[in-house]
Amino acid sequence: MKDTLKWSYALNQWNIRLDVFVRHEEQIRAFKTAAACGFDHLELASGTGRWDNLSRPEVIWQNHRDAAGLRDFLARGSITGVSSFFWDPFQPVEEEGWAFLLPQNPADHDAIVESAKPFVDFLAQVGSDRLVARPTRSAWMGAPFDAGTIRLVGSLWNRVGELAAASGVNLSVHYDCLSAIHSEKDLEAFLEATDLALVGLALDTAEFTIGGIDPVAFYERHADRVTHVHLKDTPFRDSGDEYRMPGAEATMLRGGAGRRIERWFFELGTEGGLVDVPAFVAALRAHEYGGWVVVESDHGGNPAELCMLNSWFLQHELGIAK
Amino acid sequence: MTWTKWSYMDHWVTQTPQGPQPPSFNRAYMDRYIKQLSALGFTGFDTFFFYLPIYAGMYGSVKGFEEFLQANGFDKITGVFSAYPWATKYTAPHVRETHDRIFADSERTVQALEGLSVENFIVMPTSTYHQTEPVTDETIKVVGDLWNRVGAMTLEHGMTTTCHFEFWGAIRTREQIDLFFEYTDPSLVHFFCDTAQHTIAGVDPLQLFRDYRDRCTGFHFKDTHDVDVHEAYRTPPDPELMAPHVTRWFYEMGTEGGLVDFPALMKEILSSGWDGWLTVEHDKAELGGGSYAEATATAKWYIDTVLRDAQAETTPVEVGA
Repeated sequence: MKDTLKWSYALNQWNIRLDVFVRHEEQIRAFKTAAACGFDHLELASGTGRWDNLSRPEVIWQNHRDAAGLRDFLARGSITGVSSFFWDPFQPVEEEGWAFLLPQNPADHDAIVESAKPFVDFLAQVGSDRLVARPTRSAWMGAPFDAGTIRLVGSLWNRVGELAAASGVNLSVHYDCLSAIHSEKDLEAFLEATDLALVGLALDTAEFTIGGIDPVAFYERHADRVTHVHLKDTPFRDSGDEYRMPGAEATMLRGGAGRRIERWFFELGTEGGLVDVPAFVAALRAHEYGGWVVVESDHGGNPAELCMLNSWFLQHELGIAK
Repeated sequence: MTWTKWSYMDHWVTQTPQGPQPPSFNRAYMDRYIKQLSALGFTGFDTFFFYLPIYAGMYGSVKGFEEFLQANGFDKITGVFSAYPWATKYTAPHVRETHDRIFADSERTVQALEGLSVENFIVMPTSTYHQTEPVTDETIKVVGDLWNRVGAMTLEHGMTTTCHFEFWGAIRTREQIDLFFEYTDPSLVHFFCDTAQHTIAGVDPLQLFRDYRDRCTGFHFKDTHDVDVHEAYRTPPDPELMAPHVTRWFYEMGTEGGLVDFPALMKEILSSGWDGWLTVEHDKAELGGGSYAEATATAKWYIDTVLRDAQAETTPVEVGA
């Protein structure tokens, strides 16, 4: 995209199961699709094992040797770089012995910081400076966080931020609608508990909206803390405590219970979308936001269709040249 | 120069609550489809005659549909495709007694486009080979007479009748194509070059374009991985989906194993000074688990990269030179 904002596209919409999106030719077709839609950078997302071969640094290197090899691979689909890497340290992975770690457990902090290293090293090697991390497990998995717990979790992310900064990588923690840090008050307390210089916020417009936080108003108040953006839409808000339903990843986000909403995240321009995307992007411009804006569809349907529709919105509704 | 007149042929299938369907499923699906083509930068739209009433219903009129295209960055509807692939007692281009009906059908189609500036009335000149054979000189003469007559009529409506040959049609070899063009009036009957269909039939589309450049009014840019070496073209009732040796004939540009030399064709088009719409076509892209959306995006990537480079290596001739 030819714009003063830096645009990227999230690759996670293609990698929807463990056993798909494995062959290199499929991945190159995704790169070409994103490139034809005007995106020349991609965000990777963490995963595990031999089939997630764009999701774990060790597996990426086995496939592409080194940073130059990965760059060559991306270039086969006209992608010039990796904008960022989304990492969920609380999703157990083979590479960490399926460890089940908790940010509210100080005894787990060393292991969590250690598990960030492969991603930080990877980003430093590929010339990308943005690690995007999920800061907590889902709220339904435990007791609500009190102020002390939020401070404790904040101290963990200060340590990860410090580790990343030592390699020239910046950290943005990503709020999501299931997170144990859920309310606007929780989120603001978390930001207060973290060092501005070490921990930024990844603002995901749909996740905020579902979680009951107005992304535009929040950004206006906290522009100095927002260092990464995921841009997507949603026609739904959590009606109250849906995020606390047991197994909310399936019961809420896949419609297994409650209102039985099977898809929460949508492409830009969706009819009935609650995110005021033009206002949000205008706010980014007004504050001279310098980070990445990653357009994301998040498992919403045919990836190519959604990528083209997102591109259409940027071109026709936001006036951005491809 | 960078070629800007890229059109899209209206084949598409998308997921709906009622299974995979064309976007004509309903207006919302149609809008999304057009927006996707727009995002990629297509500015022309080719469609089938049978979609015209459906689009008129959705958008108020065919003109209303074209205005929706234009609101999304398109120039216009560039071509309309008409065909009688299955010969019947009512319509069979090789049967002279059916010509009045085919003529009347054609006239109704072009009348539905009155007030627009559609350039090409694209026709399959014949039905299936196996229903038409033996294909004699006289057969080709009869077919030629039909399209001369239709061509004169469409010209009065401002549209060019242009013939799109199928690998399984009754006119498929180089000799048959040459004879057909001998039997037809160059001012009334033109050539529409489908790169995959000719390649499958063992005919070089690049050489055909060189030889019929002055009669050529358009292209379907699509690829194939197979030349028909098993006489699949004679498979009754249908060689496209029922050929025993090849389950998928057509591919988007840029796939491994593709037989069409698109960069060479692009250079030839540019250096010849030809001016017209280049139409991207994906026919049955869903076979083998493919998707029209991805095929279209990757084909446009191919246009934006590989064919752009081919253009950069070519010195174009000014149109009219």
